[in-house]
Amino acid sequence: MVGGKVNSGRMTALLVGAVVLRLAIFYLLPGLSDLLAGRVEISTPVTSFKRLQEGLFLYQHNVSPYDGGVYHQAPLLLPLFSLFPNFKSFPLGTYQLYIVADLLSARALQLIADSGEAGSSALFTSPRREKRWTGLIVAAVFLFNPFTIATCIGRSTSVFTTCAILHAIAKAVSGAPFSAMVALSFAAYLSMYPLLLLPPLLLLCYDRQHPSCAIKSAGKFAITNILVVAGVLAALFQMSYFMTGSWEFLSSTYGIQLTLTDLTPNVGLWWYFFIEMFDSFRSFFLAVFWLHLSCYVGGLSIRIRRQPLAVLTLLLGIFAIFKPYPSISDTSLFLALVPLYRHVFPLMRYTFVEASVILYATFLGPSFYYLWIYAGSGNANFFYAITLVWNLGLSLLVCDLTFAVLRDEWEVERPEMVGKEIRQI
Amino acid sequence: MTSSTIISEPLTANRDLNSNSNASLTPVPGSRKEPPPEKASDIRRRSFIILSFWLIVLFLGLPIWWKTTTIYRANLPLQEMLDWADGKACRPVFPLRIAIEANSLHEQEAHNLLRLTQHALDDLNDFSGHHLRLQLSPPSTEKKQDSSHDAALTIRLVPGESSTSTLDPYAPVLNITYPPNSIPSPTSSSSSLATYVASQLRSTFAEEQAIISYLLSANFIPSEHRPQGLAPEAADSLAKRTTRSLKYAPTYHLTFSLFTSGPLPSSWDIEAAIDEYMKPVLDLLSPIHNFTIDTQVQLYATPGVQNQVLSKEDLSSFINAAEWPLSPSIGGAPTINFVVFVGDQTIMAPPQAPEGSDVEAPTFQSFLIPQWGTVYLVSLPHDVPHVSVETLKQPLLTFTSHLLSLTGAPQSGSLPLRLSTLARIRSADLLLRASSTLGSLARLALALPSIAIPSSVADGVSKTMSHLRLACETLGGSEGLAHARIAEAEAERAFFEKSMVGQLYFPDEHKIAVYLPLLGPVAVPLVIGLLNEIKAWRKRRRERAEKGAQKKAE
Repeated sequence: MVGGKVNSGRMTALLVGAVVLRLAIFYLLPGLSDLLAGRVEISTPVTSFKRLQEGLFLYQHNVSPYDGGVYHQAPLLLPLFSLFPNFKSFPLGTYQLYIVADLLSARALQLIADSGEAGSSALFTSPRREKRWTGLIVAAVFLFNPFTIATCIGRSTSVFTTCAILHAIAKAVSGAPFSAMVALSFAAYLSMYPLLLLPPLLLLCYDRQHPSCAIKSAGKFAITNILVVAGVLAALFQMSYFMTGSWEFLSSTYGIQLTLTDLTPNVGLWWYFFIEMFDSFRSFFLAVFWLHLSCYVGGLSIRIRRQPLAVLTLLLGIFAIFKPYPSISDTSLFLALVPLYRHVFPLMRYTFVEASVILYATFLGPSFYYLWIYAGSGNANFFYAITLVWNLGLSLLVCDLTFAVLRDEWEVERPEMVGKEIRQI
Repeated sequence: MTSSTIISEPLTANRDLNSNSNASLTPVPGSRKEPPPEKASDIRRRSFIILSFWLIVLFLGLPIWWKTTTIYRANLPLQEMLDWADGKACRPVFPLRIAIEANSLHEQEAHNLLRLTQHALDDLNDFSGHHLRLQLSPPSTEKKQDSSHDAALTIRLVPGESSTSTLDPYAPVLNITYPPNSIPSPTSSSSSLATYVASQLRSTFAEEQAIISYLLSANFIPSEHRPQGLAPEAADSLAKRTTRSLKYAPTYHLTFSLFTSGPLPSSWDIEAAIDEYMKPVLDLLSPIHNFTIDTQVQLYATPGVQNQVLSKEDLSSFINAAEWPLSPSIGGAPTINFVVFVGDQTIMAPPQAPEGSDVEAPTFQSFLIPQWGTVYLVSLPHDVPHVSVETLKQPLLTFTSHLLSLTGAPQSGSLPLRLSTLARIRSADLLLRASSTLGSLARLALALPSIAIPSSVADGVSKTMSHLRLACETLGGSEGLAHARIAEAEAERAFFEKSMVGQLYFPDEHKIAVYLPLLGPVAVPLVIGLLNEIKAWRKRRRERAEKGAQKKAE
């Protein structure tokens, strides 16, 4: 009990520290938040705060927020932001919202870490599970990750998606499938791609059910929960419909992600490809890219069936690389879950290379963008090349983590091979 | 001691099969140690993983590929389109009705005269496309307006001293006077009056006939419809005339410019002058063309040639294209320029202006530039600040007459006759042009089997053909012109469809370049994984069969 108290005191200190840091940046460096809000690495067409303000203005003047083709975010964000005082005159309200979202994410992350799901799931127990970080450290790594801070300062709305996804996982881990499905529905409503997390999340929920009220049949469990997701999504869509008065929001929010009509550069791989694409093949390759993004779900869920949380982590890493409008906030979500696998870090082989490549791209990315857009001495290829490096670093990390998780499983099967070098034959 | 294994990657999931095959062999002492055989559950799991990827490829990827990359080719009536282009679908015939108004003749006499004149006309006419049909207009003055409305020309026969003919300048009427004794008797088979009327009619329509037969021969009309007897030199001069006139457009933009060599004059009464001298003709042309007008004044304008007296060679470089703000066609409509240049230059009289030369000098103050417009030189006292309507009268009358020749109207005949001839020429021209565009489109569709043909093109083609058919039936009338205009516009729109032009040339080898860079690397692990899986499955089956056989043998 004493330890728990100490822990909660530390947690409070951590949260206060995170809040103070964010408020300090907001108030001491007021120019920085606007600068970050305009950076393509943080604000994509589907998460940008500036676009949100435009939509908010239109909404408050009784014009459809989607008129003008600038706002591509979920309609229910608008009444939420209308509750807060005008950002220009009293920004603290909006700041509070973003900071609270970050704190809630950290809290969910702490729950996930303290549950020990990463080390010992229902079907698999890692021999290395003792060597893990506490929820406090994992939450601290998330809260003080520069990517997380930059996302929060840049007020990208993906903060809310991150929060919803982490809560879905936290609820699933703590054996509340219904809440998990509701949280996932919110995440999917806000940015669509989290819907692809449904299969591994179902597995996670199924594994972590309370024995008292468990549904034993896997099929029945899956159908029940899919119905929950469908019901919540339908309710959210209906509310959006009542709020905007038309179904236009579907094509303006999800349609934009599916058809990639806004080709603003970002850290992802799609925009450059579709600038170059022949018009007649555009729809085909859009489908190919989306199928590529979703084809990992099945394979990973089957292969790492015994550790659904690992599947979720790896999928979030893959989405941060291959989704249509990625930003560093997707990376920050992935990097928030990676520390849960502290116990397999010794099995990873290229940590130094990955860390250097990611740091390298982090520093060179903005300068290459500057060379292209402002200095005019570079061209689009500069920025695209550095985003390739960035995504290379991330995919190395994803692959390496996959390797480590699989090797960890394999060593349970073949205890005599522990510590041996692998070799291709 | 060496150990060997591979941890399957999630994407490929192809474990090397050597481990499988070697596992069944008995390890030879001293050789490297072999991994234990795979568990059955692992093998099943790997099959599921490969299956999950292939299910997506087969059940989502393939249908999407089929749906998004098949080229939509709307059905085009290719043969019919080619028929139009070859002139097989429509034989352009211009039945011109000519009313004879002979109030002073008895009906019997008039009928007789009409019959004889028609005979004479048919004897003279060698071009079947251009019919002159005579008819007697009823003598009552009330109905005269209606009947002469759709007749191309009215012949008014008036008794007089001798045989003379004059064209009415304000209406399509040919006045013919005849001596009273030349009226044919009911039994006679020839009459001097009939021959006279016929030859007058023929000469009136000679130019129109020549132009139309030239148009038909210039297009792909088969020879049986083609008029013979078009003299090469006549064809030559017609070709020059055609190059001089602008390409047909539904709208022309007229730009009136006042260029002065000094600071004065700096204003002109152009609006009033246009209203007074040009507007009537523009109104008459309105069924054929729309006109938009703008004007400009430019001071201190230096012409391209500074000579005091301009020779014929100088005229082509007179326009200072670099400095004068004479914009080329803005928007869709071609521009016709009318320039009034105030300066002290004059044009040298050409010794013998050759017919149809490039730059003509019909008067010695103006010259016409083919397909471009007209320049009129005015010399004014240096202190006149304003150009009045009276000063502009002569320039504008010149411009008006040049406008007619720039739009392709024939040169002879009275104004109403020239305009109605212009309408007929234009409808024939548009009909032929729309037909040849259809032919080009059909040939394009045949030549490039991979070109996409959107349904809008098919719509345009069917609209074009229906309007062409209507135009062909009502050729010679105002309706025919309207239909021909629509047909031509639709044909052009269909031919220049944007989505078609973009993919005009996209050969199959380019598709490899589109698909391979991305799909190739993705396909390699998928295909190899599948092949390995099938191989392993067949091997397992064979082993099982062997085991079964051994058991039976035991």
